[in-house]
Amino acid sequence: MTGGGDEGDGENGHDGGDLAALRGADDATVYQPAEDSGLLAEAAIEEAHGRVLEVGTGSGWVAERVATERDLDVVGSDRNPHAARQARERGVEAVVADLLSPFREDAFDAVCFNPPYLPTDPDNEWDDWMEHALSGGESGRELIEPFLADVGRVLAPDGVVLLLVSSLTGYDEVLALVEEAGFDHEAVVEESFPFETLTVLALRRA
Amino acid sequence: MKESLMDVICCPLDKAALELDVDEADDEEVLAGTLTCTECGETYPIEDGIPNLLPPDMREEAAA
Repeated sequence: MTGGGDEGDGENGHDGGDLAALRGADDATVYQPAEDSGLLAEAAIEEAHGRVLEVGTGSGWVAERVATERDLDVVGSDRNPHAARQARERGVEAVVADLLSPFREDAFDAVCFNPPYLPTDPDNEWDDWMEHALSGGESGRELIEPFLADVGRVLAPDGVVLLLVSSLTGYDEVLALVEEAGFDHEAVVEESFPFETLTVLALRRA
Repeated sequence: MKESLMDVICCPLDKAALELDVDEADDEEVLAGTLTCTECGETYPIEDGIPNLLPPDMREEAAA
């Protein structure tokens, strides 16, 4: 979800919270594909196999690309019902869910997640669907932590997790959580933008 | 939702199996119905082809 230079706003020095506020300024209710989505799709098309889950699918764009280009069964879940509807309109098998909670043990060979990761000042949260899509709480890792703690449950034994990490979220802190959850990690794709560096990590059981 | 989704979903509260009751379906998909937990009895709606598997407390929030 990089702040990207496309609009050429030329403003520097935004911290993550301001950036989140900028991105939330329009009244859309569903996160639409951006640079991070493109990177996650690229990595997922390369690494995914078998039955695939995309957590926080948003508009369903990444899930649709993986399903089409790799001819795999992909489930897209989002806690935002508006997002689930958009994903379904793209032909994605859509579910409204909180992270991984309604999925069975060993159910998926690949799990993709582009988490809401912008660190947000609690006084500056705006409490709508776009905030849920962008804000990772004060640390930026509020959803990455419970995701990593539970993803091993739904992942098949030889499964792979594709997790998008932004430098705004704290790369080393995320790696520490990954290791704590018992996964090896490998950077599959990486790209730098004016405000952040985005990396997609492939996680496999250590 | 396709009926094959039943292979990968469970009750978000206790991870027990769900039972599917179909109200409306076409050739490929269940369009409306109810998923009921075989353990705790909690129900989850399927509307417009999309199951809502949020735990009940989050479902209230989402409707607001």
